Amino acid sequence: MQRIVLERAGGTPVTKRAHLGAVASGNLEVLCEPPAGDGATIVVSTSVDGYEPVWRATLERFLEQHFIAAAIEINDFGATPAMVSLRLEQALELAR
Amino acid sequence: MMAMLALEGRWNTRAAGKAQRLASIAFALTGKVLDGERIVEVLERLIRPGDRVCLEGNNQKQADFLSRNLAAVDPERVHDMHLVLSVLGRPEHVDLFERGIARKVDFSFSGPQSLRLAQLVEDGRVEIGAIHTYLELFGRYFIDLTPNVALVAADAADAAGNLYTGANTEETPAIVEATAFRNGIVIAQVNETTGELPRVDIPGSWVDAVVVADRPYAIEPLFTRDPAEIDDVAILMAMLAIRGVYESHRVRRLNHGIGFDTAAIELILPTFGESLGLRGEICTHWALNPHPTLIPAIESGWVESIHSFGGELGMERYIAARSDVFFTGPDGSLRSNRAFAQMAGLYATDLFIGSTLQLDRDANSSTATRGRIAGFGGAPNMGSDPHGRRHASDAWLALARGDDGIARGRKLVVQLVETFRASGVPTIVERLDAAGMVGKAGFAIAPVMIYGDDVTHVVTEEGVAYLYRAENVDDRRAALAAIAGVTPVGMERRQERTAALRAVGVVAYPQDLGVRRGDARRSLLAASSMADLVRWSDDLYDPPARFRSW
Amino acid sequence: MTPATLRRSYVESTPRERIVALADPGTFREILDPFARCSSPYLAEQGVVAQRDDGVVIGRALLEGRDVGAIAVDGRFLGGSIGEIGGAKIARVLERARDGAFLLLDTGGIRLQEANLGLLAIAEICDAIVALRERAPVVAVIAGRVGCYGGMSIAAALCSQIVMSPVGRFGLNGPEVIEQEAGIEEFDARDRPATWRATGGLRRVAQGHADILVEDDLDDIARTLREAFRATRNRERLSLARLRDRFAESAPA
Repeated sequence: MQRIVLERAGGTPVTKRAHLGAVASGNLEVLCEPPAGDGATIVVSTSVDGYEPVWRATLERFLEQHFIAAAIEINDFGATPAMVSLRLEQALELAR
Repeated sequence: MMAMLALEGRWNTRAAGKAQRLASIAFALTGKVLDGERIVEVLERLIRPGDRVCLEGNNQKQADFLSRNLAAVDPERVHDMHLVLSVLGRPEHVDLFERGIARKVDFSFSGPQSLRLAQLVEDGRVEIGAIHTYLELFGRYFIDLTPNVALVAADAADAAGNLYTGANTEETPAIVEATAFRNGIVIAQVNETTGELPRVDIPGSWVDAVVVADRPYAIEPLFTRDPAEIDDVAILMAMLAIRGVYESHRVRRLNHGIGFDTAAIELILPTFGESLGLRGEICTHWALNPHPTLIPAIESGWVESIHSFGGELGMERYIAARSDVFFTGPDGSLRSNRAFAQMAGLYATDLFIGSTLQLDRDANSSTATRGRIAGFGGAPNMGSDPHGRRHASDAWLALARGDDGIARGRKLVVQLVETFRASGVPTIVERLDAAGMVGKAGFAIAPVMIYGDDVTHVVTEEGVAYLYRAENVDDRRAALAAIAGVTPVGMERRQERTAALRAVGVVAYPQDLGVRRGDARRSLLAASSMADLVRWSDDLYDPPARFRSW
Repeated sequence: MTPATLRRSYVESTPRERIVALADPGTFREILDPFARCSSPYLAEQGVVAQRDDGVVIGRALLEGRDVGAIAVDGRFLGGSIGEIGGAKIARVLERARDGAFLLLDTGGIRLQEANLGLLAIAEICDAIVALRERAPVVAVIAGRVGCYGGMSIAAALCSQIVMSPVGRFGLNGPEVIEQEAGIEEFDARDRPATWRATGGLRRVAQGHADILVEDDLDDIARTLREAFRATRNRERLSLARLRDRFAESAPA
């Protein structure tokens, strides 16, 4: 099990809470809510160790595409980067 | 007179040899029916050391009664056999080499035995002639790999040796034709002998003997995909393939590879495809095994015809009731034919789409992984641009190249891959594992499934790369990198370059194709479970036990 | 014909979507939602990532105006297993429910990672069901992919009524457990049709171990759930004494 934290300053805050997904094989749970401070924070707990660079690249690209401020929590059970990106986009649609 | 006889002997040795061999097994023959109890002895007398023997191991049905008994012969009597078969997939196929009964093999695909086979090659117990595509291997049966003996499988035989192969004719006609007409010996295992066959798939005059097997031939439901296992990412890729490839090029005639990604396409035709008004415009004619996941599209009126390589367990009653769509005999059951379906897929379809385990920056693809010898099957033929093609179609012409008055079209060869297979395993890589396998384990050349220069499109969850539109190798690589996500290849993506390629249509992202990522949900699937497929089929589809949740 | 798309599948829905679809429109109020972050404290130390609702959704909802407890177990997370937190969530809702409760069970039973605490939690759940059903209907729905096994099958058996779909399975021991304990000759867990023949919804309703058979269809289940509530209120309630008789009847001689 591994914990990864990513932070970025600035951005337009999300307005609502959004929750989706599940901690199930190949899937992940995403909690997205308005940030306590400003900027975006993503905290990942993943069951699969050793892929921090892939996680960072995936999350950085998401934040590049969406200039948002939000507190995002990801609880992962071996999802692929494609699934991670898709769930993040789905959560953002609900939270905006 | 003596000279004449000698000359005759010189030109008829094969016929004479055949007569001699048949005489040697007469003890177990009643008419054309062999005594199954004495099959091991029959094989020991029939097969000579060094013989080339074709053992029918299809993708689907297996002549397993004959292969199990062949593996039980005395290696003192039968040894150094040269095995030729398309699918070396059963444990006893490998036992033949372990026991010294066979020494050399020419084949196409080894699937479940790929690991054991690689080990035997390493130990020097197997000599691999070559690893082929199906069509190549069938071709060589008629040139330089003609079998001395063919051991095949059928559903039923009559007293005259006529064979009925039911839904799984597959490659039996190709094997039997090559063997029978060059004075080889054809023995067929059958599930039963009957007085009258539903139809004749192989004429009795091509068959030397039949034997009733101890149990029906082995067969696996290889092309059944449970819709419950399709995830949102596969659905997103399916939406991109439909909009970015099928709709853009009006693809009517096609072949789908095996896998959940292509199953997702089949399952959203009646929903997403319908909403785009594409019924009748795309996906009307298929070279395809009877995929259960195509049932909703068939029932919704999308499909005009399907020609199949083999059958699929559980689809029998459905096919019989849909003879307008499938190729069927007068008895109602499917007539499949691997050789013809492969030929049709090569020359008469405009698109192949399939997945792979690895794709490199030049779009070369491979399913070979270290320590395994898996082979190819039919994908390299389906996934290649046949230079011998001369008829035009809209989709083929849409990719026309050359403008000096002799432009020709091009087959659409599409690779459909998620950028990562599992959380840390990239599909798109800098170098294929296959590239490191040349000269090892019997590979004279790298085991590439589809060569990059034949690939026209790559679809990932990130978008579509229209490789055929790239001006040069650099653009081609940049286009692939633009949709390669965070794989090593994708990390080379540059924003300005990508924008330029998007502007000229070499790269398309979902928004460029009018696809909303958020719409990629399982609710788009016309069937979300096996039970749904059964409902769609009007209760005509009978899923195998392992796929049932009721 | 579009048989699949006309129907809203229970199997395809998430636990929250199921409750929302079954309750009177707009009436579900979740208690301890994922943002309350009431997750299991024991999983991380065992290298397992926790889900923020501990795999259990609870709250209050109206059912034809009745104020009921709503419970759904998430079969996706660790096989719908019941640990300390999830179990406590279920027990507390049952204890506080006014006009009855419905439980959407998709669970393999006790969570192995929290064995004793899960056991205790299920005992509390059983207590709460028995107490509540003395005064109001408690209806279990078993219609998900996991089914209802282990300790939670006992909880289901204590409910006033059990609603099942053909997909649902209901038994004390899961197929793998039976195979492991009794041998593959007794039960081959990979033989899926045999599993469903033994424990599937069609079988359980025919046997009388479950009460009502439904389709994998949220609308059908919503209708049936209301019927079950009405029927339970009107019919003679099972006393604990009769319950004991019922156990005695079904126990092997």
